[in-house]
Amino acid sequence: MAPRALTDFVAEATEILDTLDRELMALEERGSGDPDPDRLNAIFRASHSLKGLSAMFGLEGLARLSHRAEDLLDALRLGKVHLDDTLLEALSQTVDVLHAMLGEAARGEDTADVKERAEVVSAELRRLARGQAVESGDVLDAIGIDPSVRAVFTEYEEHRLRENVKKGVGLWKVRAVFGLDDFDTRLTELNRALKPLGEVVSTLPSSQPGDDASIAFDLIFGSGRDREEIQGALIEGSSLSPLGRVPVPPPSVPLPTNLPPKKAPVWDDVSVSGPALTPISSSGSGISSSPSGLTRLSGGAPVETSMRSLTNTVRVDIGRLDGLMNSIGELLLIRSNIERLAEAARQTQGTALPKLWGQELQREARSLERRLDELQKGVLEVRMVPLGQVFDKLARLMRRLVKESGKDIAFDVSGGDVELDKLIVEELSDPLMHLLRNALDHGVEQPEQRQARGKSGRATIGLVARQQGNHVIIEVKDDGNGLDEARIREVAIERGLVTRDQTEEMERRELLNLVFQPGFSTRRDVSELSGRGVGLDVVKTNLQRLSGLIDIESRRAQGTTFTLTLPLTLAIIRALMVSVSGRTYAIPLNSVLEIVQIRTDALKTIEKREVIEVRGQTLPFIRLARVFGLPEEPRVAHYVVLVGLAQQRLGLAIDDLLGQQDIVTKPLSGRLRGIPGIAGATELGDRRAVLVLDVGALMEELMRATPTSTRDSA
Amino acid sequence: MSSFADLLDRFFYRPDEEVGPYLELAPQTDRAQDPVPEEEPEEFLAFMLEGETYAVPIGAVREILKISDVTEIPRSKKNLIGLINVRGEMLPLYDVKVRLRLAETIPTVRTSKDVARSARVVILRDPEGDAGVLVDRVDGVVKLQLSRLEEAPQLGIDRNAIAGLGRRDDLLFILLDVEQALS
Repeated sequence: MAPRALTDFVAEATEILDTLDRELMALEERGSGDPDPDRLNAIFRASHSLKGLSAMFGLEGLARLSHRAEDLLDALRLGKVHLDDTLLEALSQTVDVLHAMLGEAARGEDTADVKERAEVVSAELRRLARGQAVESGDVLDAIGIDPSVRAVFTEYEEHRLRENVKKGVGLWKVRAVFGLDDFDTRLTELNRALKPLGEVVSTLPSSQPGDDASIAFDLIFGSGRDREEIQGALIEGSSLSPLGRVPVPPPSVPLPTNLPPKKAPVWDDVSVSGPALTPISSSGSGISSSPSGLTRLSGGAPVETSMRSLTNTVRVDIGRLDGLMNSIGELLLIRSNIERLAEAARQTQGTALPKLWGQELQREARSLERRLDELQKGVLEVRMVPLGQVFDKLARLMRRLVKESGKDIAFDVSGGDVELDKLIVEELSDPLMHLLRNALDHGVEQPEQRQARGKSGRATIGLVARQQGNHVIIEVKDDGNGLDEARIREVAIERGLVTRDQTEEMERRELLNLVFQPGFSTRRDVSELSGRGVGLDVVKTNLQRLSGLIDIESRRAQGTTFTLTLPLTLAIIRALMVSVSGRTYAIPLNSVLEIVQIRTDALKTIEKREVIEVRGQTLPFIRLARVFGLPEEPRVAHYVVLVGLAQQRLGLAIDDLLGQQDIVTKPLSGRLRGIPGIAGATELGDRRAVLVLDVGALMEELMRATPTSTRDSA
Repeated sequence: MSSFADLLDRFFYRPDEEVGPYLELAPQTDRAQDPVPEEEPEEFLAFMLEGETYAVPIGAVREILKISDVTEIPRSKKNLIGLINVRGEMLPLYDVKVRLRLAETIPTVRTSKDVARSARVVILRDPEGDAGVLVDRVDGVVKLQLSRLEEAPQLGIDRNAIAGLGRRDDLLFILLDVEQALS
């Protein structure tokens, strides 16, 4: 397979699997019993799409397993088997295996382990699909529906009709006559109006066609509401009449077994992206009655369930968005140049012509700016995806892990609709996974212990996201053990991360932060899930890469909360422009906590290192000019930019603040790579290159020497 | 009015001295010497460094620029003058005079005012990343026959950065080894 095609396939298949995940979870939440037909259909559709797609790409294993799943789901959809926990579990496992298989396909692997798992699951699905036999005696026979109508029902529609009869709701026929030009939208509208009141079992072309300019449909509708209420929901062009419950001579009703075997044509042999076929175009008797309407219909009018609307998303390679973003950055610069030019022309003494010219230029520059802002905002929005993409996956995994752990835990997720830059969301899943596993393994106690502490036996692990200004805050919290700082201190000393003397001086907060040191783990037994002792420092590095902050809040026996603060996007960043010894530097604003002014005589030293005190916290005071080897002048007071990344903070002394600006950072490539403390360069309006500080690297470098934070030497 | 023209000039500033024009001049300088038919002479860009004429193969030259603002990079390699912005691309600007022992110290260059009017930046192509070299003056394109190049004499100079010597009429061209000179 061409790499490009494979990439596309994996992207699409992943999307389908995500849908499967989500819908299965929703199904599970409702518990066993009567499943929501729409949900079931969505799952069925997803597995069908996956089957077709995998077969198309020659991935037989994937195709076979999704085919099995599809069979089972079809049986479920048709009411041949009932939804219960075993079935849900089997489906959930199937999705896991499908994920694994897809992963292998993406990497071009094919292991026996996954194959074996697929075999096991496949056999289970098959066993379940055979399931219980349908009960004998057809309730549909009793209500009496025009055989010509009944003959066009698909097996699935018949099943739904039967379910409605069983529920004892009224069956109605809604006749709708719509103009040929807009019948598809009108029909969708009608469906939407009816939906809240009951179930649209089938949409059939009417046996009494309308005039030449219109097309008539019969919607078979099951509803527990009374006639007035349904009548009220109807839109123009539709009318209501009762269906069935009219005694019909039994002999004229053909038994369902006499009908030709049918399958819902919607699902079979339809390409994933093609227009949806509807029962109408596939049914026998309906066609002949309104041939004129049908030619239109085959043009792809979705009637009941359309595959066309499977997803509204467009997949775009993030690299292309980066490219777009860069050109916007360039455009912004040209804009400011034009403006500068206009300003200069306007101020030129003498002839009136350039003055007028300047004014006009300026006006144009302003409208260009407006458009550019829109464009920039638009592209940024395209990059934004809901956190739910990651949260859903995590929820699934957590459910499995909780089951395996044997602990009684409620997993609370909220804020999945908060949006973040796609790149950040992708990078977040690993750190969040680590934190959640930690909460599950180390945080939450066994039920007995919880009860002994007077807490409810059921523990809660929470994953909460919310937006706060230009940042997104994500909290991972548990109401378990809390962190044991004494134990942390011992382990840190044992591992040689700090000396005992150093810990004497450390505050609780600093002690807690030791858990972010590489190689730190407080539990001796290495569980299967976590505790490999790599977790938290990986979390820290991952977050630093995303210009994020992490903080711990913990109380003994009450719980632990990790708070992650992330910027909304990394593509165009807002930067603080500062000057140091006459040079201009840009400091990414997302790592700036605050700016304070400190009088030189307020500086203190600890072991000859300068420190400042900001609201009771002692922070290292670093003169940027000194770090960069630039000439310094004695000053009475300093501007100090407090920067923080992950759990570290320090104050950078600078000469002057020049303001804020949106910048596109260009990495220093080739020969300039690896210059310490410089993330890249950006150009300002006057085409001057300005260096962008790499706050993370600077801090790593500068903190390495400070006594309170012993750095990893590895 | 003149300041406006100046602004326009700066705004639309471009590689104002592409190699192209020099190529046209080249055959004329060649006319005096009778060409050796069996060997095609190679073209070199000649430029001045502290009164000496140096040359690099024309293929290694990407463009020639007037000097604009240079941003100094703290804690970078010694021979780096700074960072220049070439139409949005951030390129390093190097000094080769110290490497060639033509000068004692790296000049501090921040704006065009810090250099002579004739000074230019020669942007060289390099697999490690294109880079600019500050030269005192660009002289033009010269054709030299590779077979007639001489080896640099032992003069106690660092010969690593010198690929050889070329002669045309009474002029001496010192061929620069680009890779070595920038390292």
